Amino acid sequence: MKILNNKKLTILSILVLMIGSMMLVLNSCTASQKISMKSGAQLWAENCQRCHNTPSPSTFTPEQWETVGMHMQSRALLTETEKNKIVEFLSQ
Amino acid sequence: MQTLNKLTKRIMAICLFALISTVTKAQETTTVVDSSLLDRVNTLEKEASYIKPEESHLMAVGLLTFGYVSNKTTVTYNGSSSVSKTNSIGDADHFEFSPMFLWRHGKKFLMEFEPSFNVDGVGVNWAVASYYATPGLILRGGYLVLPFGTYNKRLAAGWINKLASDPEGIADASDFGVEAEGGIQAGTTKWSYDFALSNGMQLQPDGTTQFIGITDNNKNKLFTGRIGFLPLANSSIEVGASLMTGKVGDAGLKYQNANATLWALDLNLVENLSPFQLNIKGQYSEAKVDNAEYTDPNNPTNTYTFNNHTKTGYIMAALRPMFSQNDFVKNFELAARFGNYTTPANSLWGTKDNSLAFSLNYWMNWRTVVRFSYEAIKGTSTVSQSLGGNPGEITKSNSAYIQFCIEL
Repeated sequence: MKILNNKKLTILSILVLMIGSMMLVLNSCTASQKISMKSGAQLWAENCQRCHNTPSPSTFTPEQWETVGMHMQSRALLTETEKNKIVEFLSQ
Repeated sequence: MQTLNKLTKRIMAICLFALISTVTKAQETTTVVDSSLLDRVNTLEKEASYIKPEESHLMAVGLLTFGYVSNKTTVTYNGSSSVSKTNSIGDADHFEFSPMFLWRHGKKFLMEFEPSFNVDGVGVNWAVASYYATPGLILRGGYLVLPFGTYNKRLAAGWINKLASDPEGIADASDFGVEAEGGIQAGTTKWSYDFALSNGMQLQPDGTTQFIGITDNNKNKLFTGRIGFLPLANSSIEVGASLMTGKVGDAGLKYQNANATLWALDLNLVENLSPFQLNIKGQYSEAKVDNAEYTDPNNPTNTYTFNNHTKTGYIMAALRPMFSQNDFVKNFELAARFGNYTTPANSLWGTKDNSLAFSLNYWMNWRTVVRFSYEAIKGTSTVSQSLGGNPGEITKSNSAYIQFCIEL
């Protein structure tokens, strides 16, 4: 147990618990009907303005929006559903 | 005449036979060729589908922040003052030209690279590869922007920041490491998590810490994590808590077990109060490094110590008549920010700073802004006399900015 002393074991246990809890949350969480019914336009208006002005759909091509959408999903920590709906709206 | 008819019929029959034979033979040949061609075509189609445009996509975006700053700094100590004035084109503190390359492969992989040209020369803001593993989990490796607070990762870009300068005390936090993050919907609320393990920081001879880079100075890794919570269904409020902790001492040296622990709280509120949009953002953080003895640079035979505890915070508010019917008026925005930055007393870098900044922004479009900003910073030195400092020395810095920011 030289490699894993008490402090490291505690940190490791906390990490495992955190990841375990996160996986439980991931598997059990569902969006309410109110959230599920939101359109891509509404999600675009609500989420983009959290950090910056809402972008014009004409800024990029659909292919580019797909790429930018992945980038923004990571930056703003959007859910997958939010990202997909926003990209679909911007690509129209 | 009958003989001629018979002859003609025979010739026609022979021609017909020859024609049918040729066509039949040609069809047989075609069938053979088609079969081999089809195999080849199928192979090529498989190869082509792997790199068809919608599967692999490379694009370049980026940003520029350029401006002019006029500064007046007054230093007062024991009743006497000195004044210095500068006018700079380029705004050395905030000039930045940073193209960003996004390379998507399918819907699972994304590579991001942002080099940056600024006052430090050419550097890299981040260079990462991300794997979108499941709907709520993104895995990443490379040179990361660490998830400590929200300013560095989301708000620092000139065209996003509402004021010309960065809040005092928010240092760049990019490091080599791995990261796991995601957003989770839970009923009408939303959570986000972002955890990273990286090489970490190194304790400097004056007690500050710096990110060590690609080769670690010890076996320990720096843990950085942030949990975000959006309690309202319209995502208008977000609160977050961050933690960063890890050893900062060099392996094998006296303070190899010295630890640094930082925590932060952040707030983001965006509320549409027609015809205005109200935007409030804030972040508060503290950093504590274990006590250590440092060498006095003025007298290397002496050592000194201090409580290595730093506090920094800011609160920013912006108001924009975004929903005004007047197309000219709706593009203006007023912003103000108050900041506080307190570094350890009796260190070589001890100071208590208060700052106040105002800005009038004009949005040319959603990602292009011209701003007129003013910032006043008042700092009181807490460097001890034994280190050659002037405790109580007051530095007042007043800066006026004209700044242009664009994102492409």
